[in-house]
Amino acid sequence: MALFPRTIFALTLILGSLVGPPFATPPADAADKLVVYSGRAERLIKPVLDEFQSKSGIQIELLSSGTTELINRLQAEGDRSPADVFLTNDAGSLEHARELKLLRPMNMREVERAIPSQFRASDNSWIGLSGRFWVVVYNKNLVKPEQVASLLDLAQPQWKDKIAIPNSGSEYLQAGVSVIKATVGEDRTKQFLLGLKANAGTQVYQKSSQIVEAVAKGQVALGIVNHYYIYRHLAAQPTAPIAAIMTDQQEGGMGAIMNVTGIGITRTSKHVDSAKLLVEFLVAQAGQKLFADLDKEYPLHPDVKADPALVDRHSFRAALVPLARLAELREGTLTLIEQVGLR
Amino acid sequence: MFTATRAHAPSSLQWVSLLTAALLVLPTGYIVYVALTAAPTVWTRLWSTRIPELLGNTLSLAAGVALTTLALGLSLAWFIVRYDFPGRRIWEWALALPLAMPTYVLAYVYAHLLGMGGPAEQWWQAMLGPEARLLAPQSFLGVTLIMALDTFPFIYLLVRGALLNLNLSFEEVARVCGVSPWTTLWRVTLPLIRPAIAAGLALVVLYVISDFGAVSLLRYQTLTYAVYQQMTSRYDHTAASILSLLLVLMAGIFLVTERWFRRRSRFYQTTGRYRKATRRRAGPVGTAAITGYVALVFGVSFGIPAAMLVQWSMEAIGQGALDARFVGFVWNSTVLAALAASGAVMIGIPLAYLASRHPSRLNLACLHAAYAGYALPGPVAALAVLVLFTHFVPALYGTVVVLLTAYILHFLPVGLQSMEPALQQITPNVEEVARTLGCTVQQSLRRITLPLVRNGFTAAWVLMFLQTMKELPATLLLRPVGFDTLAIRVWLDASEEYYQLAAPAALLIVFLSLPALMLLVTKDWRGNELETRT
Repeated sequence: MALFPRTIFALTLILGSLVGPPFATPPADAADKLVVYSGRAERLIKPVLDEFQSKSGIQIELLSSGTTELINRLQAEGDRSPADVFLTNDAGSLEHARELKLLRPMNMREVERAIPSQFRASDNSWIGLSGRFWVVVYNKNLVKPEQVASLLDLAQPQWKDKIAIPNSGSEYLQAGVSVIKATVGEDRTKQFLLGLKANAGTQVYQKSSQIVEAVAKGQVALGIVNHYYIYRHLAAQPTAPIAAIMTDQQEGGMGAIMNVTGIGITRTSKHVDSAKLLVEFLVAQAGQKLFADLDKEYPLHPDVKADPALVDRHSFRAALVPLARLAELREGTLTLIEQVGLR
Repeated sequence: MFTATRAHAPSSLQWVSLLTAALLVLPTGYIVYVALTAAPTVWTRLWSTRIPELLGNTLSLAAGVALTTLALGLSLAWFIVRYDFPGRRIWEWALALPLAMPTYVLAYVYAHLLGMGGPAEQWWQAMLGPEARLLAPQSFLGVTLIMALDTFPFIYLLVRGALLNLNLSFEEVARVCGVSPWTTLWRVTLPLIRPAIAAGLALVVLYVISDFGAVSLLRYQTLTYAVYQQMTSRYDHTAASILSLLLVLMAGIFLVTERWFRRRSRFYQTTGRYRKATRRRAGPVGTAAITGYVALVFGVSFGIPAAMLVQWSMEAIGQGALDARFVGFVWNSTVLAALAASGAVMIGIPLAYLASRHPSRLNLACLHAAYAGYALPGPVAALAVLVLFTHFVPALYGTVVVLLTAYILHFLPVGLQSMEPALQQITPNVEEVARTLGCTVQQSLRRITLPLVRNGFTAAWVLMFLQTMKELPATLLLRPVGFDTLAIRVWLDASEEYYQLAAPAALLIVFLSLPALMLLVTKDWRGNELETRT
């Protein structure tokens, strides 16, 4: 008669035992499985991981989430973390993870040969895979490229209600502000952010793809995004009236703001050998080409050519702030962003 | 009284209930603690930057949606209850359907339909020239309308129930005394259904201030959305805790006000002669006008979005969206929701049982503690559970247990609302008879009480199952590796503007929500039968 509670109890037990195994301690025989925590958009990383999986037979379990969220998670999980590899698109966050001792220093000759040292952590606990630039995207029907020489120009009142920016949680924005602050100082950066905030109004987006979309539709005239979102949009819609401006190239100017997507093996990983195979795959010429082209980023391997659609890497220069410094600059940047009240 | 003797020696059930209540209050308490012990500089920084804007946005959205849903819900209920027109019975049910559509689904459909360069704008510009602009879904008005389209059925359903139960004699007396129809409506009918309106508004406002899905996809900054953003962009959770505290306070103040208001305006009208209002048969013009209005509201709130979802789903399925991964998402959603609902029912039993059988101050307090989860928006529940687990039981962090705890904390109140009245409906005498006839407490519980409350408990289980299935923010923040759910897929795909890819999962969620909706419509959600008295 008392069917109900007993059914529920039994159901709970059954279901509990069904989901049990995946979240209990990883089984000992899972040597050919890697858990990847990824802060990149899933569709930008999954095809590469699928390729690795089919080549190596190592199964990849992917958790896509926000970069900062993943660092918080790795930290909270501590020694019990199931993650083997942490992959994300902000050198500052990777460096921060290194400082928190979440990553494992590595000694890999293939890596040192393939990736120039300015794109790696000092102890190789993270390794840059591809480079990207924080650029201005503009609508060709609404703006002439010579109207914007520097990122700082976007704070001018003439762009009121005409620009779209990422929200303040975006690691790109945080890294960009860090570079600007390290180059032009806190006061000018604050003025810049105040102007940017006033000009953007409610056009504050969670995703760079949405900013490019808004510019392409003419909803706004300009936006600040990572360069590859522009080319990915153009690849899908070749007639979209958009193009990139590499800013701050004038004599004595700051240079374009660069960041890298990088990878690190976690300190707690129990599959270091498999994880190293993944890293080797990604820094080798074939992997570099695949990884960079999929996202329209610049490969960091000096012998691998970027997608021909991109602005030639040798035609512009990058800002001089070392990538590893992004981590120490971040706290001050966050405070500044919050003082200004960016969304 | 035996309750008095019982009070001296707490039964084992009471200990269980006490422990449960304590565990349920703990996460919220800890958030409050973190917020209150935060450095004053964090408080001043937030006050001088984000808080005024967030409070303003949240309150104005709640007010805007409340007013819009009030207008929609009242007028629709009035037409459906007081007029007879062809198709009335179908519309009567159809108007509850928008509740099956999660806010994030409605938001993403409209973000596409009304967005720049979307189909609606192209059509609009074809008629009025290329400079014509539509209402932006991301604007205050746009968000207000979208949220209102999703929530007006709360008011519609409750007011409809109240109007059906209304004794016509009051109105007749007013009319006999020479009062005009409008004044009668204003001074007699509306005041009589005030409790229903208040209850409906309370649901709407709580829903709006705790919504994450729509505001995140439409980029409208509310407190709930800001909590999520703070959690995902900072290494420490102090600022998120402070914003959460404000949110919980806001919801708490609101709930208390609503209770107080409802207690003050309680009417007793079942005594004496009850006469049901007769429906007025609408003429051809009236029928056309009413049908047009009802169809318009139904179309924009459910018909058009559902049609879009079906169309996109077909396209996505054509591209092979229903692969093994999709089956995995369905499985994850189902397992998580079933576990959460079962866990919550088991946890709720001692709380609801003691509060209705031995309503001592202690037992009632335990029950109310469980209801505190009501004032916890998803991201806040996630934050509370996250912070608590990472500090005290880090071993469980990143497992399903954390996520389930957040679900139970968040949705137990929904279940208790069905479980509590189910228990109250059986008189204690039945149990006492069983005891006199020699049954032990356990036997009477098993053979008498539980079979009698089975329906109410099943309803509770189904409601919590479906709420969990739709849940977004806590799942986003707490899911273990490889545990993406349908809701997550909708949100991830929709926020990257992959409308077709998001559609099959969204459609499935809507479809699965229909049974719960039937429960809501056939039963007053507070457990009283909504009698149609035909």
